[in-house]
Amino acid sequence: MNDSTTTPERLPDDVRHGTFIIIAAYNEGACIEQVVREVRAEYQNVVVVDDGSADDTFEAAKRYAPYCLRHVINRGQGAALQTGIEFALLHGARFVVTFDADGQHCVEDIQTMVTPIARGEFEITLGSRFLGEMGQIPASRRRTLRMAVLFTRLVNRVNVTDTHNGLRAFSARAARKINITLDRMAHASELIDQVRLSGLPFTEVPVRIRYTDYSVKKGQSSRNAIQIVLHYLLGRILR
Amino acid sequence: MNLFQTLALVVVGGLFILTLVATLRGWATRREGFLWALVWVAAVVAIVWPDATTIIARKLGIKRGADLILYCAVVVMMIGFLMVYVRLRRIRRELTLLVRQLAIRDAVITSPLNPPDETATPEENTE
Repeated sequence: MNDSTTTPERLPDDVRHGTFIIIAAYNEGACIEQVVREVRAEYQNVVVVDDGSADDTFEAAKRYAPYCLRHVINRGQGAALQTGIEFALLHGARFVVTFDADGQHCVEDIQTMVTPIARGEFEITLGSRFLGEMGQIPASRRRTLRMAVLFTRLVNRVNVTDTHNGLRAFSARAARKINITLDRMAHASELIDQVRLSGLPFTEVPVRIRYTDYSVKKGQSSRNAIQIVLHYLLGRILR
Repeated sequence: MNLFQTLALVVVGGLFILTLVATLRGWATRREGFLWALVWVAAVVAIVWPDATTIIARKLGIKRGADLILYCAVVVMMIGFLMVYVRLRRIRRELTLLVRQLAIRDAVITSPLNPPDETATPEENTE
């Protein structure tokens, strides 16, 4: 899908400084500090949205993240991402990247995601774990995700290989067009809809996922998936 | 008049008074109050003269008046649930927008440790 799969050069400074990394975190006190620290080592604009955590996520994030936002009531990941995106745009973001809080993404992949946008080739890039080497993906997880992709092809009519990857990058123009209204996990499918409806050019970019015990435990179970599907379909009917 | 009819009349009478009070105090609009009053009047008729419901039911091809009332009740309740669900969704949506505004307004902006470019310490490059 994308020929420039060789790891791109480090992003130019002006691009890096205009890039806002949005991290939505819910009860991630155990690892948010490490994740924010890694991202912050490369990017100055890190926005953590604490989605009403009961633990010390907010305090831990504050140590390294220059922008910390808190939902006073838990509203779900979709809602938290939208909050971060709106905040970033208010603060002059030129590029917006969403990044999961549980340490499953690699900081180096951010430049892979942003480069095609910075070059003006695309407005949106979506991370895909299935485009690269995918040896490390646990079999059960792979099955559920495959179903999700099939679902997306049928319902959203978009041909993507990985619909539920937390790593996504948007130009400011694209970010302004995105409005996530489904608060919980169904936002992933909704987002794909909006990407398609926006008419903006998008592509998938291979990214690596680090499956640690922690991130697998925090992830969505396959049983949960049915619930997410129902939530999404209802959301499409009842606007 | 049997015991059930007496009890039902007392309950319906209470609800009628409640509707009256609610409408007079402005908790409900006059239109809502009027519609509820109609429902209670119909209930009184059905309680005092049960055969009336049977007559209507027969016309609709249902054997017993009680069955007609049951079917109507099920439909009304389903519509009620749907309305409550739609309203709940809207309230959730509004809550999210409120929480978002608060989060953006009260954002904590700091100059934290570890600014970029100064952190190329050896142990962080080992990965």
